[in-house]
Amino acid sequence: MSAADAPNRRRRDTWLIFIALSVFTVINLMPLIWAVLTSLKDPRDAFTIPPTIIFEPTLEYHRQVWFENDFFVYLKNSLIVSAGTVLISVPFGSLAAYALSRIPRRSAGPILSALFTIRMFPHMLLAIPFFVMGTFLNLIDSYILLILALVAINQPFTIWLMHGFFLDIPRDLDEAAAIDGCTSWQAFRIVILPLARPGMTVAALFSLLLSYNEFLFALVLTGTSTKTLPVAIASFGGEDISSWSLSAAGAIGIMLPIVVVMLLLQRYLVRGLTAGAVKG
Amino acid sequence: MVSWQRGLWLFFVPSFGLLAVVLLWPLGYAIYLSFFDYFLGTGTRTFIGLGNYIELLSEARLWRSMWTTIIIAFGSVALEFAVGFALALALYRLNSSAKVFSVLLFLPHIVTPVVAALFLKWMLAANWGLVDATLLTFDITPPDWLGDPLWAKVSVILADAWIFTPLIMMVLYAALQGLDASLIEAAQIDGASNWRILRHVIIPALIPAIIFTISVRLMDVFRFFDLIYVLTGGGPGTATETITMYTYQLGFRMLEVGKASALGVITLVIVAALLLSINRALNSIYRGGDR
Repeated sequence: MSAADAPNRRRRDTWLIFIALSVFTVINLMPLIWAVLTSLKDPRDAFTIPPTIIFEPTLEYHRQVWFENDFFVYLKNSLIVSAGTVLISVPFGSLAAYALSRIPRRSAGPILSALFTIRMFPHMLLAIPFFVMGTFLNLIDSYILLILALVAINQPFTIWLMHGFFLDIPRDLDEAAAIDGCTSWQAFRIVILPLARPGMTVAALFSLLLSYNEFLFALVLTGTSTKTLPVAIASFGGEDISSWSLSAAGAIGIMLPIVVVMLLLQRYLVRGLTAGAVKG
Repeated sequence: MVSWQRGLWLFFVPSFGLLAVVLLWPLGYAIYLSFFDYFLGTGTRTFIGLGNYIELLSEARLWRSMWTTIIIAFGSVALEFAVGFALALALYRLNSSAKVFSVLLFLPHIVTPVVAALFLKWMLAANWGLVDATLLTFDITPPDWLGDPLWAKVSVILADAWIFTPLIMMVLYAALQGLDASLIEAAQIDGASNWRILRHVIIPALIPAIIFTISVRLMDVFRFFDLIYVLTGGGPGTATETITMYTYQLGFRMLEVGKASALGVITLVIVAALLLSINRALNSIYRGGDR
Protein backbone atom coordinates (compact mmCIF):
# COMPACT_ATOMS: atom_id res chain seq x y z
CA MET A 1 0.00 0.00 0.00
CA SER A 2 1.31 3.46 -0.87
CA ALA A 3 1.55 6.19 1.73
CA ALA A 4 -1.27 8.20 0.08
CA ASP A 5 -3.79 5.36 0.54
CA ALA A 6 -3.46 5.30 4.31
CA PRO A 7 -5.61 8.37 5.17
CA ASN A 8 -8.33 7.18 2.73
CA ARG A 9 -8.40 3.76 4.21
CA ARG A 10 -8.53 5.23 7.67
CA ARG A 11 -11.48 7.44 6.74
CA ARG A 12 -13.33 4.46 5.25
CA ASP A 13 -12.70 2.43 8.42
CA THR A 14 -14.04 5.28 10.52
CA TRP A 15 -17.24 5.32 8.46
CA LEU A 16 -17.67 1.57 8.80
CA ILE A 17 -17.26 1.84 12.57
CA PHE A 18 -19.75 4.70 12.66
CA ILE A 19 -22.38 2.70 10.77
CA ALA A 20 -21.82 -0.47 12.79
CA LEU A 21 -22.08 1.48 16.02
CA SER A 22 -25.30 3.20 14.88
CA VAL A 23 -26.94 -0.12 14.04
CA PHE A 24 -25.83 -1.62 17.36
CA THR A 25 -27.13 1.39 19.30
CA VAL A 26 -30.57 1.19 17.70
CA ILE A 27 -30.87 -2.55 18.36
CA ASN A 28 -29.57 -2.07 21.89
CA LEU A 29 -32.18 0.58 22.65
CA MET A 30 -35.01 -1.52 21.21
CA PRO A 31 -36.29 -2.80 24.61
CA LEU A 32 -36.57 0.78 25.81
CA ILE A 33 -38.26 2.07 22.67
CA TRP A 34 -40.62 -0.89 22.64
CA ALA A 35 -41.63 -0.27 26.26
CA VAL A 36 -42.35 3.40 25.55
CA LEU A 37 -44.48 2.41 22.55
CA THR A 38 -46.32 -0.26 24.55
CA SER A 39 -47.16 2.24 27.29
CA LEU A 40 -48.84 4.43 24.65
CA LYS A 41 -50.75 1.61 22.98
CA ASP A 42 -54.22 0.36 23.46
CA PRO A 43 -54.13 -3.44 24.09
CA ARG A 44 -55.65 -4.08 20.67
CA ASP A 45 -52.56 -2.45 19.10
CA ALA A 46 -50.15 -4.09 21.51
CA PHE A 47 -50.80 -7.65 20.38
CA THR A 48 -50.36 -7.87 16.65
CA ILE A 49 -48.20 -9.88 14.32
CA PRO A 50 -46.29 -8.18 12.74
CA PRO A 51 -45.77 -5.63 15.53
CA THR A 52 -47.24 -2.23 14.72
CA ILE A 53 -45.38 1.03 14.80
CA ILE A 54 -48.28 3.08 13.48
CA PHE A 55 -51.11 3.41 15.96
CA GLU A 56 -53.14 6.00 17.79
CA PRO A 57 -51.14 6.85 20.93
CA THR A 58 -53.00 7.21 24.21
CA LEU A 59 -51.84 8.56 27.56
CA GLU A 60 -54.73 6.77 29.25
CA TYR A 61 -52.47 4.16 30.90
CA HIS A 62 -50.06 6.74 32.25
CA ARG A 63 -53.03 8.48 33.83
CA GLN A 64 -54.44 5.24 35.25
CA VAL A 65 -51.19 4.05 36.78
CA TRP A 66 -50.62 7.30 38.67
CA PHE A 67 -54.15 8.34 39.55
CA GLU A 68 -56.01 5.07 39.99
CA ASN A 69 -53.19 3.17 41.67
CA ASP A 70 -50.98 4.12 44.60
CA PHE A 71 -47.94 5.12 42.56
CA PHE A 72 -47.71 8.54 44.17
CA VAL A 73 -47.43 6.84 47.57
CA TYR A 74 -44.65 4.57 46.26
CA LEU A 75 -42.92 7.58 44.74
CA LYS A 76 -43.07 9.36 48.09
CA ASN A 77 -41.60 6.28 49.79
CA SER A 78 -38.83 6.07 47.22
CA LEU A 79 -38.00 9.75 47.67
CA ILE A 80 -37.90 9.49 51.48
CA VAL A 81 -35.64 6.45 51.35
CA SER A 82 -33.34 7.99 48.72
CA ALA A 83 -33.09 11.35 50.48
CA GLY A 84 -32.44 9.69 53.84
CA THR A 85 -29.72 7.50 52.36
CA VAL A 86 -27.96 10.38 50.58
CA LEU A 87 -28.17 12.69 53.60
CA ILE A 88 -26.55 10.15 55.93
CA SER A 89 -24.25 8.40 53.50
CA VAL A 90 -22.41 11.40 52.06
CA PRO A 91 -21.53 13.30 55.29
CA PHE A 92 -20.51 10.11 57.16
CA GLY A 93 -18.49 8.90 54.20
CA SER A 94 -16.81 12.27 53.67
CA LEU A 95 -15.68 12.51 57.30
CA ALA A 96 -14.13 9.06 57.26
CA ALA A 97 -12.58 9.58 53.82
CA TYR A 98 -11.02 12.88 54.85
CA ALA A 99 -9.39 11.35 57.92
CA LEU A 100 -8.27 8.41 55.80
CA SER A 101 -6.55 10.73 53.33
CA ARG A 102 -4.67 12.56 56.12
CA ILE A 103 -3.38 9.69 58.27
CA PRO A 104 -0.12 7.94 57.30
CA ARG A 105 -0.35 5.70 54.25
CA ARG A 106 0.65 2.55 56.12
CA SER A 107 -2.42 2.81 58.38
CA ALA A 108 -4.78 3.90 55.58
CA GLY A 109 -3.92 0.93 53.32
CA PRO A 110 -5.35 -1.84 55.54
CA ILE A 111 -8.51 0.20 56.18
CA LEU A 112 -9.08 0.61 52.44
CA SER A 113 -8.59 -3.14 51.90
CA ALA A 114 -11.03 -3.89 54.70
CA LEU A 115 -13.60 -1.61 53.04
CA PHE A 116 -13.09 -3.40 49.73
CA THR A 117 -13.72 -6.72 51.50
CA ILE A 118 -16.94 -5.36 52.98
CA ARG A 119 -18.07 -4.34 49.50
CA MET A 120 -17.76 -7.97 48.50
CA PHE A 121 -20.36 -9.29 51.01
CA PRO A 122 -23.28 -10.93 49.25
CA HIS A 123 -26.33 -8.78 50.00
CA MET A 124 -28.46 -11.86 50.50
CA LEU A 125 -26.28 -12.88 53.45
CA LEU A 126 -27.05 -9.53 55.13
CA ALA A 127 -30.72 -9.53 54.20
CA ILE A 128 -31.44 -12.60 56.34
CA PRO A 129 -30.20 -11.25 59.71
CA PHE A 130 -31.73 -7.87 58.85
CA PHE A 131 -35.07 -9.51 58.32
CA VAL A 132 -34.83 -11.59 61.53
CA MET A 133 -33.69 -8.62 63.63
CA GLY A 134 -36.24 -6.35 62.01
CA THR A 135 -39.00 -8.80 62.89
CA PHE A 136 -37.92 -8.86 66.54
CA LEU A 137 -37.47 -5.09 66.80
CA ASN A 138 -40.75 -4.53 64.98
CA LEU A 139 -38.97 -2.40 62.38
CA ILE A 140 -40.19 -4.18 59.24
CA ASP A 141 -42.25 -1.75 57.18
CA SER A 142 -40.39 1.29 58.58
CA TYR A 143 -38.14 3.65 56.64
CA ILE A 144 -35.31 3.71 59.15
CA LEU A 145 -34.17 0.09 58.83
CA LEU A 146 -34.10 0.23 55.03
CA ILE A 147 -32.24 3.56 55.04
CA LEU A 148 -29.61 2.25 57.48
CA ALA A 149 -29.14 -0.89 55.42
CA LEU A 150 -28.67 1.11 52.22
CA VAL A 151 -26.25 3.53 53.89
CA ALA A 152 -24.21 0.63 55.22
CA ILE A 153 -23.86 -1.25 51.94
CA ASN A 154 -23.03 2.04 50.24
CA GLN A 155 -20.42 3.32 52.74
CA PRO A 156 -17.39 1.43 51.39
CA PHE A 157 -17.86 2.84 47.89
CA THR A 158 -18.58 6.36 49.17
CA ILE A 159 -15.46 6.37 51.34
CA TRP A 160 -13.33 4.92 48.57
CA LEU A 161 -14.57 7.56 46.13
CA MET A 162 -14.23 10.54 48.48
CA HIS A 163 -10.79 9.34 49.59
CA GLY A 164 -9.55 9.89 46.05
CA PHE A 165 -10.96 13.40 45.94
CA PHE A 166 -9.45 14.38 49.32
CA LEU A 167 -6.05 13.03 48.28
CA ASP A 168 -6.10 15.55 45.43
CA ILE A 169 -6.48 18.44 47.88
CA PRO A 170 -2.96 19.46 48.98
CA ARG A 171 -2.02 18.82 52.60
CA ASP A 172 -0.34 22.24 52.74
CA LEU A 173 -3.81 23.71 53.10
CA ASP A 174 -4.47 21.71 56.29
CA GLU A 175 -1.05 22.61 57.62
CA ALA A 176 -1.56 26.30 56.95
CA ALA A 177 -4.90 26.10 58.73
CA ALA A 178 -3.30 24.27 61.67
CA ILE A 179 -0.60 26.96 61.98
CA ASP A 180 -3.33 29.59 62.00
CA GLY A 181 -4.76 27.77 65.00
CA CYS A 182 -7.62 25.81 63.46
CA THR A 183 -8.62 22.50 65.06
CA SER A 184 -8.86 19.56 62.66
CA TRP A 185 -12.63 19.97 62.58
CA GLN A 186 -12.38 23.69 61.69
CA ALA A 187 -9.76 22.99 59.02
CA PHE A 188 -12.03 20.38 57.50
CA ARG A 189 -15.17 22.48 57.59
CA ILE A 190 -13.79 25.87 56.55
CA VAL A 191 -10.85 25.03 54.28
CA ILE A 192 -11.28 21.54 52.84
CA LEU A 193 -15.01 20.97 52.52
CA PRO A 194 -15.68 23.78 50.00
CA LEU A 195 -12.97 22.31 47.76
CA ALA A 196 -14.47 18.82 47.96
CA ARG A 197 -17.87 19.82 46.62
CA PRO A 198 -17.51 18.12 43.18
CA GLY A 199 -16.54 14.91 44.94
CA MET A 200 -19.56 15.14 47.20
CA THR A 201 -21.80 15.64 44.17
CA VAL A 202 -20.44 12.45 42.66
CA ALA A 203 -20.90 10.54 45.93
CA ALA A 204 -24.44 11.87 46.33
CA LEU A 205 -25.29 10.87 42.76
CA PHE A 206 -24.16 7.29 43.31
CA SER A 207 -25.97 7.02 46.64
CA LEU A 208 -29.10 8.27 44.90
CA LEU A 209 -28.74 5.80 42.03
CA LEU A 210 -28.24 2.91 44.45
CA SER A 211 -31.07 3.79 46.82
CA TYR A 212 -33.61 4.62 44.11
CA ASN A 213 -32.90 1.42 42.19
CA GLU A 214 -32.29 -1.00 45.06
CA PHE A 215 -34.61 -3.99 45.11
CA LEU A 216 -33.61 -6.81 47.48
CA PHE A 217 -33.53 -4.92 50.79
CA ALA A 218 -36.57 -2.92 49.77
CA LEU A 219 -38.40 -6.16 48.99
CA VAL A 220 -37.75 -7.84 52.34
CA LEU A 221 -37.75 -4.82 54.66
CA THR A 222 -40.75 -2.82 53.44
CA GLY A 223 -44.45 -3.55 53.75
CA THR A 224 -47.67 -2.08 52.47
CA SER A 225 -47.05 1.44 53.79
CA THR A 226 -43.35 1.86 52.88
CA LYS A 227 -43.15 -0.02 49.57
CA THR A 228 -40.75 1.68 47.12
CA LEU A 229 -41.29 1.99 43.36
CA PRO A 230 -39.16 -1.01 42.25
CA VAL A 231 -40.97 -3.32 44.68
CA ALA A 232 -44.33 -1.96 43.54
CA ILE A 233 -43.69 -2.47 39.84
CA ALA A 234 -42.28 -5.98 40.37
CA SER A 235 -45.47 -7.06 42.11
CA PHE A 236 -47.64 -5.12 39.69
CA GLY A 237 -47.56 -7.69 36.96
CA GLY A 238 -46.20 -8.30 33.57
CA GLU A 239 -47.53 -11.81 33.96
CA ASP A 240 -50.97 -10.93 32.73
CA ILE A 241 -50.59 -9.68 29.18
CA SER A 242 -53.81 -7.67 29.32
CA SER A 243 -52.10 -5.33 31.81
CA TRP A 244 -48.96 -4.83 29.71
CA SER A 245 -49.82 -1.29 28.71
CA LEU A 246 -50.50 -0.38 32.31
CA SER A 247 -47.30 -1.88 33.72
CA ALA A 248 -45.30 -0.41 30.84
CA ALA A 249 -46.65 3.01 31.78
CA GLY A 250 -45.63 2.39 35.40
CA ALA A 251 -42.17 1.19 34.39
CA ILE A 252 -41.58 4.24 32.19
CA GLY A 253 -42.74 6.49 35.02
CA ILE A 254 -40.18 4.94 37.38
CA MET A 255 -37.41 5.17 34.82
CA LEU A 256 -37.89 8.78 33.75
CA PRO A 257 -36.91 10.73 36.89
CA ILE A 258 -33.68 8.83 37.50
CA VAL A 259 -32.67 8.93 33.84
CA VAL A 260 -33.27 12.69 33.66
CA VAL A 261 -31.22 13.34 36.82
CA MET A 262 -28.38 11.14 35.62
CA LEU A 263 -28.28 12.67 32.14
CA LEU A 264 -28.18 16.19 33.58
CA LEU A 265 -25.31 15.27 35.87
CA GLN A 266 -23.61 12.96 33.40
CA ARG A 267 -20.11 14.35 33.72
CA TYR A 268 -20.12 13.65 37.46
CA LEU A 269 -21.40 10.15 36.78
CA VAL A 270 -18.50 9.34 34.49
CA ARG A 271 -16.03 10.71 37.04
CA GLY A 272 -17.40 8.38 39.68
CA LEU A 273 -17.41 5.31 37.43
CA THR A 274 -13.81 5.77 36.51
CA ALA A 275 -12.48 6.87 39.90
CA GLY A 276 -12.07 3.27 41.02
CA ALA A 277 -10.43 2.06 37.86
CA VAL A 278 -8.06 4.90 37.18
CA LYS A 279 -6.86 5.50 40.70
CA GLY A 280 -7.42 2.05 42.24
CA MET B 1 1.04 18.34 63.63
CA VAL B 2 1.17 15.02 65.46
CA SER B 3 -1.25 16.11 68.16
CA TRP B 4 -3.38 17.69 65.47
CA GLN B 5 -3.54 14.42 63.57
CA ARG B 6 -4.58 12.62 66.71
CA GLY B 7 -7.95 14.39 66.64
CA LEU B 8 -8.61 12.84 63.24
CA TRP B 9 -9.70 9.47 64.58
CA LEU B 10 -12.94 11.09 65.74
CA PHE B 11 -13.81 11.57 62.05
CA PHE B 12 -14.04 7.81 61.67
CA VAL B 13 -16.58 7.35 64.45
CA PRO B 14 -19.90 7.99 62.63
CA SER B 15 -19.09 5.93 59.57
CA PHE B 16 -17.28 3.02 61.20
CA GLY B 17 -19.72 2.98 64.11
CA LEU B 18 -22.56 2.61 61.63
CA LEU B 19 -20.73 -0.10 59.71
CA ALA B 20 -20.08 -2.02 62.93
CA VAL B 21 -23.70 -1.90 64.05
CA VAL B 22 -25.44 -2.26 60.68
CA LEU B 23 -23.01 -4.53 58.82
CA LEU B 24 -20.62 -6.43 61.05
CA TRP B 25 -23.10 -7.22 63.80
CA PRO B 26 -25.69 -8.66 61.38
CA LEU B 27 -22.90 -10.58 59.67
CA GLY B 28 -21.87 -12.08 62.98
CA TYR B 29 -25.51 -12.81 63.76
CA ALA B 30 -25.94 -14.58 60.41
CA ILE B 31 -22.90 -16.77 61.12
CA TYR B 32 -24.35 -17.53 64.56
CA LEU B 33 -27.76 -18.38 63.05
CA SER B 34 -26.14 -20.72 60.54
CA PHE B 35 -25.48 -23.18 63.40
CA PHE B 36 -29.17 -23.43 64.28
CA ASP B 37 -32.16 -25.23 62.89
CA TYR B 38 -34.36 -22.19 62.95
CA PHE B 39 -37.81 -21.99 61.37
CA LEU B 40 -39.01 -18.41 61.60
CA GLY B 41 -42.66 -19.38 61.14
CA THR B 42 -42.94 -21.00 64.59
CA GLY B 43 -39.80 -19.52 66.11
CA THR B 44 -38.41 -22.89 67.23
CA ARG B 45 -34.63 -22.77 67.37
CA THR B 46 -32.30 -25.68 68.14
CA PHE B 47 -28.52 -25.76 67.99
CA ILE B 48 -27.31 -28.29 65.42
CA GLY B 49 -23.66 -27.31 64.99
CA LEU B 50 -22.53 -27.83 61.41
CA GLY B 51 -25.78 -29.63 60.57
CA ASN B 52 -26.97 -27.00 58.07
CA TYR B 53 -23.66 -27.02 56.22
CA ILE B 54 -23.56 -30.81 56.01
CA GLU B 55 -27.16 -30.96 54.83
CA LEU B 56 -26.60 -28.27 52.20
CA LEU B 57 -23.38 -29.69 50.82
CA SER B 58 -24.99 -33.09 50.31
CA GLU B 59 -27.94 -31.62 48.44
CA ALA B 60 -28.26 -31.91 44.66
CA ARG B 61 -30.19 -28.66 44.51
CA LEU B 62 -27.29 -26.68 45.98
CA TRP B 63 -24.78 -28.06 43.48
CA ARG B 64 -27.18 -27.44 40.63
CA SER B 65 -27.63 -23.84 41.71
CA MET B 66 -23.86 -23.51 42.03
CA TRP B 67 -23.38 -24.67 38.43
CA THR B 68 -26.13 -22.36 37.23
CA THR B 69 -24.43 -19.46 39.00
CA ILE B 70 -21.06 -20.29 37.46
CA ILE B 71 -22.48 -20.65 33.95
CA ILE B 72 -24.43 -17.40 34.19
CA ALA B 73 -21.60 -15.52 35.90
CA PHE B 74 -18.85 -16.45 33.48
CA GLY B 75 -21.13 -16.37 30.43
CA SER B 76 -22.35 -12.88 31.14
CA VAL B 77 -19.02 -11.44 32.26
CA ALA B 78 -17.27 -12.85 29.17
CA LEU B 79 -19.97 -11.46 26.87
CA GLU B 80 -20.02 -8.10 28.62
CA PHE B 81 -16.28 -7.80 28.53
CA ALA B 82 -15.95 -8.72 24.84
CA VAL B 83 -18.74 -6.39 23.70
CA GLY B 84 -17.84 -3.64 26.16
CA PHE B 85 -14.21 -3.62 25.09
CA ALA B 86 -15.14 -3.58 21.39
CA LEU B 87 -17.51 -0.66 22.01
CA ALA B 88 -14.86 1.21 23.99
CA LEU B 89 -12.36 0.78 21.16
CA ALA B 90 -14.95 1.93 18.62
CA LEU B 91 -15.75 5.03 20.70
CA TYR B 92 -12.06 5.77 21.10
CA ARG B 93 -11.56 5.53 17.36
CA LEU B 94 -14.57 7.74 16.48
CA ASN B 95 -13.70 10.53 18.85
CA SER B 96 -15.93 13.24 17.35
CA SER B 97 -19.35 11.56 17.60
CA ALA B 98 -18.35 9.42 20.58
CA LYS B 99 -20.10 11.64 23.11
CA VAL B 100 -23.59 11.05 21.67
CA PHE B 101 -23.01 7.32 21.31
CA SER B 102 -21.65 6.97 24.83
CA VAL B 103 -24.75 8.63 26.30
CA LEU B 104 -27.16 6.47 24.28
CA LEU B 105 -25.25 3.28 24.94
CA PHE B 106 -25.04 4.03 28.64
CA LEU B 107 -28.81 4.43 29.08
CA PRO B 108 -29.62 0.77 29.86
CA HIS B 109 -27.27 0.92 32.83
CA ILE B 110 -29.12 3.79 34.52
CA VAL B 111 -32.57 2.24 34.16
CA THR B 112 -33.74 0.67 37.45
CA PRO B 113 -32.76 -3.03 37.14
CA VAL B 114 -36.27 -4.24 37.96
CA VAL B 115 -37.66 -2.02 35.22
CA ALA B 116 -34.97 -3.14 32.79
CA ALA B 117 -35.87 -6.76 33.53
CA LEU B 118 -39.52 -6.00 32.75
CA PHE B 119 -38.53 -4.35 29.45
CA LEU B 120 -36.58 -7.44 28.48
CA LYS B 121 -39.41 -9.69 29.56
CA TRP B 122 -41.71 -7.87 27.17
CA MET B 123 -39.14 -8.35 24.43
CA LEU B 124 -38.78 -12.08 25.05
CA ALA B 125 -42.33 -13.03 26.07
CA ALA B 126 -43.78 -15.91 24.06
CA ASN B 127 -45.77 -14.95 20.91
CA TRP B 128 -46.49 -11.33 21.73
CA GLY B 129 -43.00 -10.19 22.70
CA LEU B 130 -41.26 -8.06 20.09
CA VAL B 131 -38.65 -10.71 19.28
CA ASP B 132 -41.20 -13.49 18.77
CA ALA B 133 -43.67 -11.27 16.92
CA THR B 134 -40.91 -10.22 14.53
CA LEU B 135 -39.64 -13.75 13.97
CA LEU B 136 -43.19 -15.07 13.46
CA THR B 137 -43.76 -12.41 10.83
CA PHE B 138 -40.98 -14.02 8.81
CA ASP B 139 -42.34 -17.51 9.56
CA ILE B 140 -39.45 -18.44 11.79
CA THR B 141 -40.46 -20.49 14.82
CA PRO B 142 -38.73 -18.87 17.79
CA PRO B 143 -37.36 -20.86 20.74
CA ASP B 144 -39.17 -20.61 24.05
CA TRP B 145 -36.90 -17.88 25.46
CA LEU B 146 -38.02 -17.99 29.07
CA GLY B 147 -39.69 -21.42 29.24
CA ASP B 148 -36.94 -23.72 27.97
CA PRO B 149 -34.25 -24.61 30.56
CA LEU B 150 -31.34 -23.91 28.23
CA TRP B 151 -32.77 -20.81 26.49
CA ALA B 152 -33.80 -19.36 29.85
CA LYS B 153 -30.14 -19.36 30.89
CA VAL B 154 -29.21 -17.69 27.60
CA SER B 155 -31.93 -15.09 28.15
CA VAL B 156 -30.64 -14.33 31.65
CA ILE B 157 -27.09 -13.91 30.33
CA LEU B 158 -28.31 -11.61 27.54
CA ALA B 159 -30.34 -9.58 30.02
CA ASP B 160 -27.40 -9.20 32.38
CA ALA B 161 -25.24 -8.16 29.45
CA TRP B 162 -27.80 -5.57 28.37
CA ILE B 163 -27.58 -3.88 31.74
CA PHE B 164 -23.88 -4.16 32.54
CA THR B 165 -22.03 -3.97 29.22
CA PRO B 166 -22.38 -0.15 29.30
CA LEU B 167 -20.56 -0.04 32.62
CA ILE B 168 -17.56 -1.96 31.26
CA MET B 169 -17.62 0.10 28.08
CA MET B 170 -17.54 3.35 30.05
CA VAL B 171 -14.71 2.34 32.39
CA LEU B 172 -12.54 1.00 29.56
CA TYR B 173 -13.31 4.01 27.35
CA ALA B 174 -12.20 6.35 30.14
CA ALA B 175 -9.06 4.29 30.62
CA LEU B 176 -8.36 4.47 26.86
CA GLN B 177 -8.68 8.23 26.94
CA GLY B 178 -6.10 8.29 29.71
CA LEU B 179 -3.61 6.42 27.47
CA ASP B 180 -0.56 8.17 26.16
CA ALA B 181 -1.56 8.60 22.50
CA SER B 182 2.04 9.09 21.42
CA LEU B 183 2.73 5.41 22.20
CA ILE B 184 0.10 4.33 19.68
CA GLU B 185 1.31 6.82 17.09
CA ALA B 186 4.87 5.61 17.50
CA ALA B 187 3.75 2.02 16.93
CA GLN B 188 1.79 3.08 13.82
CA ILE B 189 4.82 4.84 12.37
CA ASP B 190 6.85 1.71 13.00
CA GLY B 191 4.28 -0.08 10.82
CA ALA B 192 2.68 -2.25 13.50
CA SER B 193 -0.69 -3.76 12.54
CA ASN B 194 -3.82 -2.76 14.45
CA TRP B 195 -3.91 -6.17 16.06
CA ARG B 196 -0.33 -5.91 17.30
CA ILE B 197 -0.96 -2.41 18.66
CA LEU B 198 -3.96 -3.71 20.54
CA ARG B 199 -2.08 -6.72 21.89
CA HIS B 200 1.19 -5.08 22.82
CA VAL B 201 0.40 -1.44 23.50
CA ILE B 202 -3.25 -0.98 24.47
CA ILE B 203 -4.05 -4.10 26.48
CA PRO B 204 -0.96 -3.99 28.74
CA ALA B 205 -1.70 -0.35 29.55
CA LEU B 206 -5.32 -1.18 30.41
CA ILE B 207 -4.59 -4.09 32.76
CA PRO B 208 -5.49 -2.22 35.97
CA ALA B 209 -8.84 -1.14 34.51
CA ILE B 210 -9.48 -4.65 33.16
CA ILE B 211 -8.74 -6.29 36.52
CA PHE B 212 -10.96 -3.73 38.23
CA THR B 213 -13.97 -4.23 35.93
CA ILE B 214 -13.78 -8.02 35.89
CA SER B 215 -13.43 -8.31 39.68
CA VAL B 216 -16.26 -5.88 40.37
CA ARG B 217 -18.55 -7.58 37.88
CA LEU B 218 -17.85 -11.07 39.20
CA MET B 219 -18.47 -9.81 42.71
CA ASP B 220 -21.80 -8.33 41.67
CA VAL B 221 -22.94 -11.22 39.53
CA PHE B 222 -22.96 -13.37 42.68
CA ARG B 223 -25.33 -11.03 44.37
CA PHE B 224 -27.52 -10.22 41.42
CA PHE B 225 -31.06 -11.00 42.22
CA ASP B 226 -33.52 -8.45 40.81
CA LEU B 227 -33.03 -9.56 37.24
CA ILE B 228 -33.65 -13.28 37.73
CA TYR B 229 -36.43 -12.61 40.23
CA VAL B 230 -38.39 -10.61 37.65
CA LEU B 231 -37.33 -12.35 34.45
CA THR B 232 -37.70 -16.04 35.31
CA GLY B 233 -38.17 -16.30 39.08
CA GLY B 234 -35.53 -19.03 38.94
CA GLY B 235 -37.59 -21.10 36.55
CA PRO B 236 -38.53 -23.00 34.55
CA GLY B 237 -38.31 -25.42 37.47
CA THR B 238 -34.92 -24.53 38.91
CA ALA B 239 -33.17 -23.98 35.56
CA THR B 240 -32.07 -20.43 36.35
CA GLU B 241 -31.92 -20.77 40.13
CA THR B 242 -28.61 -19.24 41.23
CA ILE B 243 -27.18 -19.56 44.75
CA THR B 244 -28.62 -16.15 45.58
CA MET B 245 -32.06 -17.14 44.32
CA TYR B 246 -31.90 -20.41 46.28
CA THR B 247 -30.92 -18.52 49.45
CA TYR B 248 -33.90 -16.24 48.94
CA GLN B 249 -36.23 -19.22 48.57
CA LEU B 250 -34.85 -20.83 51.72
CA GLY B 251 -34.88 -17.69 53.83
CA PHE B 252 -37.90 -15.75 52.72
CA ARG B 253 -40.24 -18.34 51.22
CA MET B 254 -39.60 -21.38 53.40
CA LEU B 255 -38.47 -19.22 56.38
CA GLU B 256 -35.63 -21.66 57.13
CA VAL B 257 -33.39 -18.79 58.23
CA GLY B 258 -30.71 -20.99 59.81
CA LYS B 259 -30.15 -22.98 56.65
CA ALA B 260 -30.37 -19.84 54.52
CA SER B 261 -27.69 -18.17 56.66
CA ALA B 262 -25.41 -21.17 56.20
CA LEU B 263 -25.87 -20.90 52.44
CA GLY B 264 -25.06 -17.18 52.63
CA VAL B 265 -21.81 -17.95 54.45
CA ILE B 266 -20.92 -20.56 51.83
CA THR B 267 -21.52 -17.94 49.11
CA LEU B 268 -19.26 -15.47 50.86
CA VAL B 269 -16.43 -18.02 51.03
CA ILE B 270 -16.82 -18.83 47.33
CA VAL B 271 -16.81 -15.18 46.27
CA ALA B 272 -13.72 -14.45 48.36
CA ALA B 273 -11.84 -17.45 46.96
CA LEU B 274 -12.88 -16.63 43.42
CA LEU B 275 -11.76 -13.01 43.60
CA LEU B 276 -8.40 -13.91 45.09
CA SER B 277 -7.65 -16.45 42.36
CA ILE B 278 -8.89 -14.19 39.54
CA ASN B 279 -6.69 -11.35 40.74
CA ARG B 280 -3.70 -13.67 40.96
CA ALA B 281 -4.30 -15.17 37.53
CA LEU B 282 -4.75 -11.82 35.80
CA ASN B 283 -1.69 -10.42 37.51
CA SER B 284 0.50 -13.30 36.41
CA ILE B 285 -0.82 -13.18 32.83
CA TYR B 286 0.05 -9.51 32.81
CA ARG B 287 3.59 -10.08 34.01
CA GLY B 288 4.00 -12.98 31.57
CA GLY B 289 2.82 -10.88 28.62
CA ASP B 290 5.18 -8.10 29.57
CA ARG B 291 8.30 -10.10 28.95
